[in-house]
Amino acid sequence: MPKAVAEIVIVISPLFFIGLISKVKSLWAGRKGAPVLQPYYDFFKLMGKGEVISTTTSPVFRIAPSIGIAATFFALTIIPIPVFGSVIHFEGDFVLFAYLLGLSKFLMVLGALDTGSSFEGMGASREVTYSTIVETAFFIVIGSLALLTRHFSFETIFASVNLASGFSPLVKILLVVSLFIMLLAEGSRVPVDDPNTHLELTMIHEVMVLDYSGPDLAFIQYTASLKMTIISILIADLLVPSSLALIPACALSASIVALVFVSVGVVESLIARSRISHIPQFLFLMTTLSLTSFAVVAFFLFGIIR
Amino acid sequence: MIDFLAGAALIFAGGFAAIFVVEKAKAWAFFVFAAAAQLFILPPAFGTLLNGGQLVLPVHFSGPIGTAYLRLDPLAALFASVTSVGALLTSIYSIGYMKMYRGQRAALSSYFFFVGMMSASMLLVEVTQNVILFLIVWEIMSVSSFFLVAFENGDDEVRKSSLYYFIAMQAGVAFLIAALAWASAASGSLDFSSFAAVLCKHDSVSMLLFVLFFVGFGTKAGIVPMHTWLPRAHPAAPTGVSALMSGVMIKTGIYGILRILLLSGIPDYRLAYGVLVVSVITGIFGVMNAIAQHDIKRLLAYHSIENIGIIGMGIGVGMLGLVYNNPLIAMLGFFGAVLHVVNHFTFKSVLFYGSGVVYSQTHTRNMDNLGGLSKYIPLTSLMFLIASLAITGLPLFNGFISELAIYLGLARSFSEGSIAMVVAALFGFSGLAFIGAMALLCFTKVYGICFLGLPRTKYHVEPNERERTLLVPMGILTVVIVGIGLLPWLTIDLLKNVVMEFVPSLNPDQLVPLTGIFRTISGALAALIGLTGLFFGLRAFLLRKRKVSRYKTWDCGYQVGSSRLQYTSSSFAQPFLHLVAELVPQKIHVEKQPVLFPEEASLESHTQDLSERYIFRPSIGILNKFLNLFSWIQSGRMQQYIMYGLVFLVVLLIWILGIK
Repeated sequence: MPKAVAEIVIVISPLFFIGLISKVKSLWAGRKGAPVLQPYYDFFKLMGKGEVISTTTSPVFRIAPSIGIAATFFALTIIPIPVFGSVIHFEGDFVLFAYLLGLSKFLMVLGALDTGSSFEGMGASREVTYSTIVETAFFIVIGSLALLTRHFSFETIFASVNLASGFSPLVKILLVVSLFIMLLAEGSRVPVDDPNTHLELTMIHEVMVLDYSGPDLAFIQYTASLKMTIISILIADLLVPSSLALIPACALSASIVALVFVSVGVVESLIARSRISHIPQFLFLMTTLSLTSFAVVAFFLFGIIR
Repeated sequence: MIDFLAGAALIFAGGFAAIFVVEKAKAWAFFVFAAAAQLFILPPAFGTLLNGGQLVLPVHFSGPIGTAYLRLDPLAALFASVTSVGALLTSIYSIGYMKMYRGQRAALSSYFFFVGMMSASMLLVEVTQNVILFLIVWEIMSVSSFFLVAFENGDDEVRKSSLYYFIAMQAGVAFLIAALAWASAASGSLDFSSFAAVLCKHDSVSMLLFVLFFVGFGTKAGIVPMHTWLPRAHPAAPTGVSALMSGVMIKTGIYGILRILLLSGIPDYRLAYGVLVVSVITGIFGVMNAIAQHDIKRLLAYHSIENIGIIGMGIGVGMLGLVYNNPLIAMLGFFGAVLHVVNHFTFKSVLFYGSGVVYSQTHTRNMDNLGGLSKYIPLTSLMFLIASLAITGLPLFNGFISELAIYLGLARSFSEGSIAMVVAALFGFSGLAFIGAMALLCFTKVYGICFLGLPRTKYHVEPNERERTLLVPMGILTVVIVGIGLLPWLTIDLLKNVVMEFVPSLNPDQLVPLTGIFRTISGALAALIGLTGLFFGLRAFLLRKRKVSRYKTWDCGYQVGSSRLQYTSSSFAQPFLHLVAELVPQKIHVEKQPVLFPEEASLESHTQDLSERYIFRPSIGILNKFLNLFSWIQSGRMQQYIMYGLVFLVVLLIWILGIK
């Protein structure tokens, strides 16, 4: 029962975290800013609106946001919530997790190309290009966790990751930073993408969804925030000890997730969006960090470093 | 076993019969024979697959062949069923597709004749286990497919490609002849089963033999760097044949590698690592080059290379499992590999058939001229979309299942003792993820550019899909794609005997967890479909009283855009190709008038295949230089040639009669 409550809380929370980011940015800039719950108002406003659909499009355009949100919801059921565990788990579930996000991406890219707009084509092209780097690095992250724990399912991996031996803090730091970079990339945040610069040639995700409106746009915005929440829960999974009691564990995980989003806001306040040509270099940082963590785990396990 | 041979003979007879009937009936005649052949081939093949064991038929020849054994074991049965069904589907597809060549009676006769011959020879390749007979049917397969690739030989490009294909096949078979001759000399028998004694030894001979076999069969399969014939031959051939070649024929190379592996017992660890690493490189190289292509069939040909890489990765994981005596890893690897053989046959055939529909309607294979096809040919585009999702390995479809098995095998390798194994496993693990992400890029490009958006050039005739025989084979395969994707545990029963052949130490109970995983996935995917329906329903519910208007695409206020302004396949791939510019070198040729307001400009880009540039061109150059040393022999003067003949006769006489 508490597990169901936890899942529901997570399903409701993503838009709050988006509001949290804007609040942090406003406060940092010395403004009062929109209320933290603003994304919810926007969400319900969009849900109540009609739509304008391009005459160029085919049914793919209309079904893409629904598949995207459903696949991302499903990805949520696979990742374990600290101390509660996951709804669906089996050996190799991380493959299903990554490929569900891939399914959602595939359809969203097709939705963008369906409009025939060159802007959206550009965004789509960048999105898939950068995901080749991020996805590979994500599997290296999983690989180092599997090597460290010798388990092959998210739930068992994270249940035992905290029991591993003394060198794990270093590995954890590397993996947390890797996942944070993944969160910035997948969530289309600075320095990879800037969600505030509508209609500029430098954008990725926002430009892909230019032609969506009404409930479809609401789905898309919710999906993006849910994806970020999912990755931040993975970060919490790495850090929250599984031996903790229910209440402190929940409090700790919630504050870690909130902290992740606050950091996103801080990053956005501190640095500008990278030049497009520099983004791959930033993303390769994730590859490097995850490879380093893999190497550290391997060296320790095989006794090369003691 | 006799019925199996009868089936193969029927397919060949179908092609032969097609010569003698009127033009319109040729395709139907071949189809009837091919359909009848299924009744003879599939029962023994499926019987062997499901029940294990093997069917043996000794055939007595005179002369050097002697007694040849034809054996149908589960491995052969799997490949034979794929071949047989592939031949049938191509025969259906050809009914509609070959209408393009109406009036070319002789060409059509040769087409069906050689399709029959190629299909029958592929079936025989899979059961023949005698060195000489094997080489004969192998060569028949290569030669008959050469004539099919050269079908449109009026075209200069096609002629060049088909010759390239022919030469590549002969180069490949040279390795096979060397390997087979060596192995039979060392074992003293022409029968494959006696090679086991030589191949199991773990000495330098067995290693070298395996490498020779791997290169020889790998040339057929399209393993990098011997893959260069694929992107030439596949686009040149008529589409039904491209599908047959890509879906079935290149798998005979995989079959050969698996057959040799089966005879090698527990492989040497160096070979296992070698196969895994070469396969990962093959996969990455294939898909990376595919992204750069503009020609849809050439792109699909590069994807065949990618998928051969994935199959090879499965084989590599399986071999590593055997080396480290871990039946579970071995099972996962081989299971993934053979399932991917079947899966690749299904989705790649659909993709080729789909590209054939596009080509028959628009007469172009250049994606930059296409667009918006889903409005004209909705069924084709739906099936093409499903196959695209499947080849990318996304859940709901069959590609996911085989890739998952390989991922699982690789992940389990992390818990094995050796650091080499761990590093190799990571290479495969992240390599497969990289391949998957690139395939996503490539197929969003193919589908998005060809089928969505607006036509980039005007279609002279409105494309349609009235020719239903083109859709039937695609439909059948699409059902299989979705079926395996949603009910994956059924494949375990089908393939377990093949896997058990490779991993004799596997306890059938060890398959139970995999069945459990597949059942969980099956339930999860059903729920995913339900959830999608729920959201789509919610959307419809919310919009029922709202205004949904249709308007032009929002192009940031710019209203006079033309469909030529859309992103093209080249521009879509550009950011990625920029990242990998060293690995996929592009030649870009820009032409524009050197004035302030140029009225015309053009840009062309070609990709170069690294293996051709750095391996084949230089080595062919060296070979040419060497052979040029002997060019004086060929003077072109008749008198000189007569003199050669005379000298030869005199030497022969002396040799026969003796010098003394």
